[in-house]
Amino acid sequence: MTQRNWTTRRDDKRARMAAAEAWLDGKVLERDRVGDALQALIRSGDRVIAEGNNQKQADFLSRALAELDPDQVHDLHMIQPSVGRPEHLAVFEKGIAKKLDFAFSGTQSHRIGQLMMDGTIEVGAIHTYIELYARLFVDLIPKVVLAAAFKADRAGNLYTGPSTEDTPALVEAAAFSGGIVIAQANEIVDDVSQLDRVDIPGSWVDVVVEADKPFYIEPLFTRDPRHITPVQIFMAMMALKGIYAEHGVTSLNHGIGFNTAAIELLLPTYGEKLGLRGKIATNWVLNPHPTLIPAIESGWVETVHCFGTELGMEHYVAARPDVFFTGADGSLRSNRAFCQLAGHYAADMFIGSTLQMDADGNSSTVTTSRVSGFGGAPNLGCDARGRRHATPAWANLAPEGDPLARGRKLVVQMVETFQAGLTPTFVDTLDAVAVAEKAGLDIAPVMVYGDDTTHLLTEEGLAYLYKAGSPAERRAMIAAVAGVTPLGLSADATTTQRLREEDKVRMPEDLGVSRTEATRSQLAASSIADLVDWSGGLYAPPPRFRSW
Amino acid sequence: MDTATLIARESFVERGARERVAGLLDAGTMRELLDPFERLRSPWLAEQDIVTQADDGVVIARGAIAGTAVVCCAVEPAFQGGAIGEVGGAKIAGALELALEDAEAGRPVVPVLLLETGGVRLQEANCGLAAIAEIHAAIAALRAHVPVVGVVAGPVGCFGGMSIAAGLCSQLIATREARLGLNGPQVIEQEAGVDEFDSRDRPMIWSLTGGEQRRATGLVDTLCADDAQAIAAEVAAAVAAGPEDPARVADVDAALARLARIDGDRRAEAEWVRDAFQTPTDDGSDS
Repeated sequence: MTQRNWTTRRDDKRARMAAAEAWLDGKVLERDRVGDALQALIRSGDRVIAEGNNQKQADFLSRALAELDPDQVHDLHMIQPSVGRPEHLAVFEKGIAKKLDFAFSGTQSHRIGQLMMDGTIEVGAIHTYIELYARLFVDLIPKVVLAAAFKADRAGNLYTGPSTEDTPALVEAAAFSGGIVIAQANEIVDDVSQLDRVDIPGSWVDVVVEADKPFYIEPLFTRDPRHITPVQIFMAMMALKGIYAEHGVTSLNHGIGFNTAAIELLLPTYGEKLGLRGKIATNWVLNPHPTLIPAIESGWVETVHCFGTELGMEHYVAARPDVFFTGADGSLRSNRAFCQLAGHYAADMFIGSTLQMDADGNSSTVTTSRVSGFGGAPNLGCDARGRRHATPAWANLAPEGDPLARGRKLVVQMVETFQAGLTPTFVDTLDAVAVAEKAGLDIAPVMVYGDDTTHLLTEEGLAYLYKAGSPAERRAMIAAVAGVTPLGLSADATTTQRLREEDKVRMPEDLGVSRTEATRSQLAASSIADLVDWSGGLYAPPPRFRSW
Repeated sequence: MDTATLIARESFVERGARERVAGLLDAGTMRELLDPFERLRSPWLAEQDIVTQADDGVVIARGAIAGTAVVCCAVEPAFQGGAIGEVGGAKIAGALELALEDAEAGRPVVPVLLLETGGVRLQEANCGLAAIAEIHAAIAALRAHVPVVGVVAGPVGCFGGMSIAAGLCSQLIATREARLGLNGPQVIEQEAGVDEFDSRDRPMIWSLTGGEQRRATGLVDTLCADDAQAIAAEVAAAVAAGPEDPARVADVDAALARLARIDGDRRAEAEWVRDAFQTPTDDGSDS
């Protein structure tokens, strides 16, 4: 009987590392030889992760990857939580890579849509973040991971600090499966004592290289209070009364739009007037939004665990270690995998926005011209059916009278009935359906399914969808708050009246929220400058947000 | 600042024109002239399918500040970016001309101008410009009798012909977010090129045209936080200060000397512009 070789992956890794040895001094790679080293370490058909996080990008390494000779290296299968840089798509246009599995495409959403439609990119699936990480340990085990760090030492220890984000999940998948971990760092130091702290142990990392310039980081979560409209404030007031206070929501995640920024800025003013401090919104899973500063400073917020960081918030976060998760060095430790798990299992509520919703409440941000992916929304914005612990808000949604009844996570969609340019938010069929067909996707990219959506809030009213007795009633409840969109105009006035009487739909007057009260003066901070004042000068906004 | 102060602080900028005026005047003294019920709308906007406003975006009100008779002229920044059209411009010019008649008749009325405007309303072109010229003339004449108080508060800033009106005021109050300049950033970029002036470089824009720089170069008299109470207090102080004699802008020699110190070939930077704008002291040396 021939002896089976049980170490093929390890042997393959050894052979590849030997081929790159000439350009390595220990684990340290000469910057100028990054192309040669990648050519030696990456083979056609490999599964490769180019660390594209929500914010932090391994851009030096992905630029080098895009410079490889497609005759030598081709048909790579790229796996990326986020496709955020032009060079991430260049590898497909040049024929270096063929297949893509991803979660979010942000700034590249238009171009990625085109490349999917014309067949340049073969998309495996558009995932939610932890779903993608999970597959790295099952059926998408990576051969090579290109990661990014602020600092590395010569032994491969990495300091990823406030921008740790996805790095631990991505590196772990390769480091313990015979894969190769290559990290770019803004700076390489000699000894571990020169690192602020160690976020990734050196034994998990095979190659470190000093990047030509610091990795790119995008301030994705800064919302300038100047742009918050009275309609958004009006909806935020309805949300606070009709959802946060109604159900006693203490743990939560907010989407990244102006709608939820308005809620954050109303906590210290309108929320205080309602006497809600300490009763709602105490424990957060959230990036360090600058608009949360006034709520933190006025004692609303007990804790915040972060997916990633936000440019300009470094000093503020470091000065508030009781609130944020920080290391011994004082800086933030973010971790998207844990934060997404927290948002899925431990948060009472997800509240976000969308671009389109159909009559059944299914929603998507995918439109024909734009495939932005989901990020974490599907995982945050769904009921956690594996959940086995109760909190008052969760239990509040349980049907009465059933001894086996369980609660539900609140999944709230907060949308204006019309988008910019007078496009109705409510549509007959989501664009996602046509996109799936054109791009050959197995399933239509729906962000939040209608049956997971427990509340729909528009400027017209609030529908408590979890109270719907039937799918038909659910549709009637959605139509009741859909305003003068075609769907809204189809609503039957008698039915809407009955839904109000049964407390399944509440209009602003039912909630005791007045449109004339919804002014910008309600905001605890009306400008970025105000946020700086609230932070005691600790928040340092990026230049593009400064107006003084 | 503690959180209680921050919550209590009321933004001046967030108020609409009418509310701003009401906040400046002694309680119970506000009397609006040509209010929205007079329905003095722009005849030109409607022809261009633009929604008009019943006060044409300008609020004129008589009242008192600490007992002194004033007339407030406030531009509504939310309507057409505060741009001045024929009707709104004529409302301001008319109010100032009436104040001048009163002043000449020994009944001084102090004008307070709340300027938040991109300048002339392009849709009304010369009609708006003519009104702005009348505003300039009236301010210049009024200054001999009463202080003319200007406030530029919000991020809209004060540009075009109305920046000249601001410059003519005897006392100009601004916040650090306010900008004051003849041409706006996009116009400068379009005319001089992006190398000369990048209209997306916000720190550079504010470093040259923002409230702090304008205070440092003497074009603004008082820098004030965006706090309705603080701004009301500064306005009250300026109203009480009496006429400026001699008027700052009347000192043509000083202005020419300043101009002579500016090197037009050199790209403007906050630091050297500040130096060039320092007013020489009596002995001829820069202060």
